[in-house]
Amino acid sequence: MTFSLTLSVSDLLLLLPELFLTAWLCVVLIVDFSFKRIVQEQLAYLSILGLVITLACLAWFDVTGITGTLFGKMFVLDRLAIFFKVMILLATILVILLSIDYVHRFSFFRGEYYFLVVMSALGMMFMTSANDLLSLFVTLEFATFGFYVLVSYLRDDMASNEAGLKFFILGVFAAGLLAYGISLVYGETGRLVFSEMSGAAPTTGLVIGFLLIFAALGFKIGAVPFHSWIPDTYHGAPTPVTAFLSIAPKVAAFAILLRLFMVALSTFKPVWALLIVAASILSMTYGNIVAIAQRNIKRLLAYSGIAQVGNVLIGLAAGTKMGTDSILFYLLTYLFANLGAFAVIMAISNAVGSDEIDDYSGLNRRSPFLAFAMLIFLLSLAGVPPLAGFIGKLYIFVAAIKEGLYILITVGLINIVVSMYYYLIVVKKMYISEPLDSSPIKTTGPLRAVIYVGLAGTLVIGIYPQPFLDWAVAATLMFSNLVGPAASIPPPVTPFGG
Amino acid sequence: MAEYTLLIILFAPFAGALALIFVSNRQVSLVRGIAAGSAFVSLIASVYLFYAYDAVKGGFQFIQRIEWSRQLGISLHLGVDGIGTPLVLASAILLFAGIFVSWHIKDRMKEFYIWILILAAATIGVFMSLDLFFLYFFYEMSVIPMYLLLGMWGSHTKKYLEMTDTEGLRQRDSVGFIFNFGANSKEYAAMKLVLFLSAFAVAALMGILLIYKFSGLNTFDILILREQAHFSGPLATLIWLLIFFGFASIAPIWPLHSWSPVGHAAAPAATSMLHAGVLMKLGHFSIIRVAFEILPETTRELMPIAAVLCVFSIIYGGLVAYYAKDTKYVIGYSSSSHMGYVFLGMAALDYISLSGAVIYMFAHAMATGMLFAMAGWVYDQTHTRDIPSLGGLSNRMPFISAAFVIGCMASIGMPGTVNFIAEVMIIVGSWNKYPFQVVVAVLGIVLTMAYLFKMMRGLFYGSMAEKYSHSHDAVTVIDRLPLLIMITVSISFGIFPGHLYSVVRSGVDPLIARITKVVPVAEHPMMNSPHAASPLVPLPASREAIAKVTPR
Repeated sequence: MTFSLTLSVSDLLLLLPELFLTAWLCVVLIVDFSFKRIVQEQLAYLSILGLVITLACLAWFDVTGITGTLFGKMFVLDRLAIFFKVMILLATILVILLSIDYVHRFSFFRGEYYFLVVMSALGMMFMTSANDLLSLFVTLEFATFGFYVLVSYLRDDMASNEAGLKFFILGVFAAGLLAYGISLVYGETGRLVFSEMSGAAPTTGLVIGFLLIFAALGFKIGAVPFHSWIPDTYHGAPTPVTAFLSIAPKVAAFAILLRLFMVALSTFKPVWALLIVAASILSMTYGNIVAIAQRNIKRLLAYSGIAQVGNVLIGLAAGTKMGTDSILFYLLTYLFANLGAFAVIMAISNAVGSDEIDDYSGLNRRSPFLAFAMLIFLLSLAGVPPLAGFIGKLYIFVAAIKEGLYILITVGLINIVVSMYYYLIVVKKMYISEPLDSSPIKTTGPLRAVIYVGLAGTLVIGIYPQPFLDWAVAATLMFSNLVGPAASIPPPVTPFGG
Repeated sequence: MAEYTLLIILFAPFAGALALIFVSNRQVSLVRGIAAGSAFVSLIASVYLFYAYDAVKGGFQFIQRIEWSRQLGISLHLGVDGIGTPLVLASAILLFAGIFVSWHIKDRMKEFYIWILILAAATIGVFMSLDLFFLYFFYEMSVIPMYLLLGMWGSHTKKYLEMTDTEGLRQRDSVGFIFNFGANSKEYAAMKLVLFLSAFAVAALMGILLIYKFSGLNTFDILILREQAHFSGPLATLIWLLIFFGFASIAPIWPLHSWSPVGHAAAPAATSMLHAGVLMKLGHFSIIRVAFEILPETTRELMPIAAVLCVFSIIYGGLVAYYAKDTKYVIGYSSSSHMGYVFLGMAALDYISLSGAVIYMFAHAMATGMLFAMAGWVYDQTHTRDIPSLGGLSNRMPFISAAFVIGCMASIGMPGTVNFIAEVMIIVGSWNKYPFQVVVAVLGIVLTMAYLFKMMRGLFYGSMAEKYSHSHDAVTVIDRLPLLIMITVSISFGIFPGHLYSVVRSGVDPLIARITKVVPVAEHPMMNSPHAASPLVPLPASREAIAKVTPR
């Protein structure tokens, strides 16, 4: 394989969002260092400004249909990548808004916090464009790098340190698995680019290699049996980082999973479908059953997140165009509901200083708005109409039933009922139990903004999903001709300007 | 304007709920005004719907179709036939009455009205959905408001309140959700209701997804599916069982009934009214709409299951109601017993009996609505639902006790109330096919008399405990209005059933003809006569008349 390293201006355009964000990252860092008296809020809004500009740039790409590949197909910018990048940027913006109040708890390095958040976002944006095994490894590690620091940002807090250590050790272990898997796959096929890999004979080495890669990505999305870091890390990490961790890396990892399974491995779908089905059933069942026993809301959402990933994997197990649409759509609904729920958690944690579910008692009397918002977010996660989560779940089930995955759907449906139990336990605390302390809870502006965005997203997508469905469907057009092995190579992407 | 009737009925309560979000809880009269106003709009529109429905033309009318999702083949497809129309009317009446029954709620009134409006709107939505997706959508949407209504404004049982050890209470609160120790807290009732209904709803959803897949039509539209989808063999049986038991749990059919009386008992009055009055009918209605319409052959084969189970429903519910000591348990179990009659009427698959079943749903909504409203009133005044400790309240509450007598009469099925007509039709219509069940049903009526009279005597007659001497009667117009509405509806349709009957028949006839593949031998005289809406047409009570219209 030859790399053509000639970059034209039009090629650079494809990289524009990432290049711009990199530049902006430096600006944030320089501003933080140069102006000693700068208030951290200003840095936060500065970061958000950069992210919004990047978002606008991506929106322009999406509208004008700018797509293409770079660096010998290492980097691909297609509508799928744009969809995922937009989700990551949205999540990052919301997380920065969430962080503004929380950052006061850090006694030092407040400015670098935003730098690290945006840097992770940048890494994840690259991840969504990764189109070969090398860029997969590099971008994945780049994205995780920032998180290692962020998770243990509360330096004097034992739980945060423990979380960071756990995350780091298991993360490095996963990276090792990934590198080994990549080497096996490269050894067997002699290829790195996903699209060129399809059609390879499934030798033992190749299968083991892909299993190892799946294990590493399973670690990222937190699917059972690679979930063990999730509860403690979510619990110990600073809450905005937990919120970030609960959505953005999963979204980015799913972009890679889609490219890997739907493009590189499209020929032996029957083999990996079983693997995904098993991971999905285990994740849903384990996550939901263990979540019942949780007394801490962050841990509850950690386990519910494991279960949600199990739900998303149903769409991957379907392995069709519609399955991928449903994954994209589901992740979008999950983004709003999950970040909204974390915003409520932070508002309460700021007032009460605790994340225990018992402290949510009588929240309806203390702050009807927060209680209502939490109700909506939790019910959306549970999949109750007319909220976004319901449409997402239904879409996934419809995609799966078309492929005849009856057992998987049955397990998924039963799990909806199980999950409803623990979400309703929180609702019971908020609405039915009497408050232990009836002082009203104040919400600050940025948190309120995140909650409003979450509510708007959850309700609008739930009541009128058509534009969002269309967007998801348009983003996965590249998978629409994945019917058989013959048609498994995606159509040649015309480079922009060529 | 007229073609938007369904949208008005459906969205007026939603709009009311939305408007209430922006009103402060302190503006009591504004809150009440918005709630009552939106319910009133819905009521007026549904009365218009009921009388504007063209029974001669039949079929689905007032159809609205709004594209919702191309990829999934979903559209907001609304329309009512002769079966949905009376149920929409019943829901709107009970919602309007329920707003007034809960007029004096002190705690978080605004939120109460929001949830009750959403609950009622969701049930109305089910009754007019012609799309499987939206049927499920509204069905599931009605469950969560129930949780909050029961949990926030409900009441514990006496047994639970009598538990004094705090440690025990705590334990029962936490573990009790799964292992209830015989003392039902309202939280337990609410959780049980939601989990039970959701568990069976997902079974129904599985059935719906199977219909979607194996019809191969890529649509959830009931009208398209019933024309073009054909299911047979084990698959049809599986789908039918999933749909039937999924929806029968809310009906509630024995042995899936246990959530229902517990839920009734815990719920505040207006919620019990809607719950027993219309929510339970979602089950029957959804079975008719989905299983009867899309799987007619399988329905013919498997409906005897309902005929078997309804016997247990009738007898078991009646006996428990007789021995229950709690007013709401009595009415709750009586409701699940009475729902057995509807299943009997449905199981016979006969023109008369299914029409009777649909009219019974309407009639039962009024009768049980009254009883729950009055049980709620008595509870508000005395703070107990324990029948043995009550008594002699007729001195303090002459109006309520008189209305209660009427409610009991309606519930028993006295001639002059619409319940009578419905009961007679069910009994007469299913006699040919299920004589044993009919005997049980008649015995069930005797049982109904027994427990209702027992409760009436226990509440209103005999000697009164001193501590209840300060209880009040319903004197103001606001307090009496809901009862008067329901009594008026029940009696006026009892005396003038003509339009109700012809509307229901227009919905039932094509359905039964499809299922039994037999067109009515002689079209019933009422259907085509110029006096179709004439109130004085006698009921088809004679054997000859039935023999003519009942296909063998």
